[in-house]
Amino acid sequence: MIWFKLAFKNLIRRKTRSTLTVLGVAIAIAVLYSLFQFQQGYQSRLKGELGALGAHVMVVPKGCPYEAATIALHGGKWPRYMDEELLDKVKANPGVLDAAGVIMDAVFAPDNKNVILLGIDEDYMRLRPSWHINGHWFDSDSSVIMGATSAQEAGVKVGDIWTVPEKSFRLHVVGVLNRTNTQDDGFVFVPRKTLQKISGLEGKLVLILIKAKQVDRTDALVASLKADEVDMNVFPLSELLGTIGALMASTKVFVSAIILIAVVLGGVGVLNTVLMAVFERTREIGMMKAMGGSRGDVFKLVWAETILTTGLGGVAGVVVAIFSSRLVEALIRGMIPYAPKGSLIGLSLPTMAMCVGLSLVLGLFAGFYPAFRAASVKPVEAIKAE
Amino acid sequence: MRREESGIQSPEGRIQNSPAAVMASGLTRVYRRGAETIRALNRIDLDIRRGEFVGIVGHSGAGKTTLLNLMGLMDRPTEGRLEVLGTDVTRRRVRFDALRRANIGFVFQEFYLMPTLTALENVLLPSMWGKGSAERRTENAELPKGVRDRAKELLDLVGLKQRMTHRPSELSGGEMQRVAVARALVNSPRLLLADEPTGNLDTSTRDGIFNLLLGLNRDSGLTVVVATHDLSLESRFARVIRLEDGVIK
Repeated sequence: MIWFKLAFKNLIRRKTRSTLTVLGVAIAIAVLYSLFQFQQGYQSRLKGELGALGAHVMVVPKGCPYEAATIALHGGKWPRYMDEELLDKVKANPGVLDAAGVIMDAVFAPDNKNVILLGIDEDYMRLRPSWHINGHWFDSDSSVIMGATSAQEAGVKVGDIWTVPEKSFRLHVVGVLNRTNTQDDGFVFVPRKTLQKISGLEGKLVLILIKAKQVDRTDALVASLKADEVDMNVFPLSELLGTIGALMASTKVFVSAIILIAVVLGGVGVLNTVLMAVFERTREIGMMKAMGGSRGDVFKLVWAETILTTGLGGVAGVVVAIFSSRLVEALIRGMIPYAPKGSLIGLSLPTMAMCVGLSLVLGLFAGFYPAFRAASVKPVEAIKAE
Repeated sequence: MRREESGIQSPEGRIQNSPAAVMASGLTRVYRRGAETIRALNRIDLDIRRGEFVGIVGHSGAGKTTLLNLMGLMDRPTEGRLEVLGTDVTRRRVRFDALRRANIGFVFQEFYLMPTLTALENVLLPSMWGKGSAERRTENAELPKGVRDRAKELLDLVGLKQRMTHRPSELSGGEMQRVAVARALVNSPRLLLADEPTGNLDTSTRDGIFNLLLGLNRDSGLTVVVATHDLSLESRFARVIRLEDGVIK
């Protein structure tokens, strides 16, 4: 402890330089924390979103699988459709327990917010056993069930009339979902036939969600569906997770390179600063040795100074990362094709510990050479030095 | 009747009978700077007894600091034999830092105090060096009460009881040198070496520091060796070793 106290007092002798060095490490560690947490959060949120779909297999029209995933998970307008008859063929497959056809559309509310409309029927409801509707299920073609967030944003409750933006269709709000903390909270659910009519997409679907009879035989089910319908994309959600995961993995190398460069630059900055301080304090180090300080004592002191610098940088970096997480997240989201909803960079004690631990290891490496140089100072030469 | 005969020894007699603090024969130190060879000390024979108060005087460049550095185990001689406090330090295996830490205190012309530490913390600094220092600390990793008390006593001894918590920037030159003297004494050395300790001080402050060193020798029997170019101090040493161009005159 006394070494660190002395080391700290040495650091505050050159406040500006020490602060800048700590800042350099802090930036590197902040980048590390943010990117690492983003990846962790991404995987975890993606799994959560796919789980919330309540299905094992998804059938979508041919096209980019990431785009399909985005539509399936977050809803939206997609200029690719499949015929409704396909749903009956899917249902007829012996491996299918349940299948729900979905049509989607997106419109802009007067406040310019995107409203996602999902056309569903009772089949969809069966995939959502956890739903709790305040009100009741559709009782007519002009019924609508609002997700918790969408009802809040539209300012409607059960019994109100809701007009579909851009379309001027008036619908009766028959139910509002209890908050599910999934993507469903932001959707507006209308009977499938009604949405097909509103959107001019009669007899069309954008998505079929399938629940398999045997979860461990999903691959066989997918193979059999593919054999029936060659023009559609049929994939298990686990594969979708893997595909998006693979996309993220390909960026991982790039991200790791950025982190490595940031950390190495931080380390070189620390090495440079401490080495400069050692050169400046040659006489002082000589005096320490004249008073009986051994090579080990001087080594320990300089090493402690370096570890303290990087340790402070590590802690500061984690704090910076936490406070700038929203900004960083927004920047990264803008650069990748698909990202799950919700906060991705969160608080994680293991990641914090890893970052601070890494900063200390950085200090061990960066401080070794300056500490060695300081320990090698000969007192008689150092005291004579100008 | 002589004092020795009556069974009472005079201080001079006691010193004569005491073991050697520093003993040198043929001590030589040669520096090489490129093609140039500088013979800073040339075949010096020396005998300083424990409890002596010795002045090494001479002009600048006479070899005073070189001799003090050799006696203080901060440098190794090129030739000759040197014994410090009974240890032949010309042997290769001698660990200079451990020997110096345990036995030798140093006071320099420039005080070399740590600017961010208080006077008390500066005095405590040498007690944290070395293997033994860890055992001397208490469980809460602070310095032991004993060492802290001793540091306070030393600051009291050098007349800085009221200035313990002051930083060097808040002290005068004389006060800083007093802190440096207290720091040199904190590990209870047996030999105190002072290299131009009054070189940066005015006359009255110089006398104060000199008297302090003299008092340490007189009251505790500490062996004190002072290197100075100030010839006006010559008469105040019990013994003077005069150096000129690396040779004792």
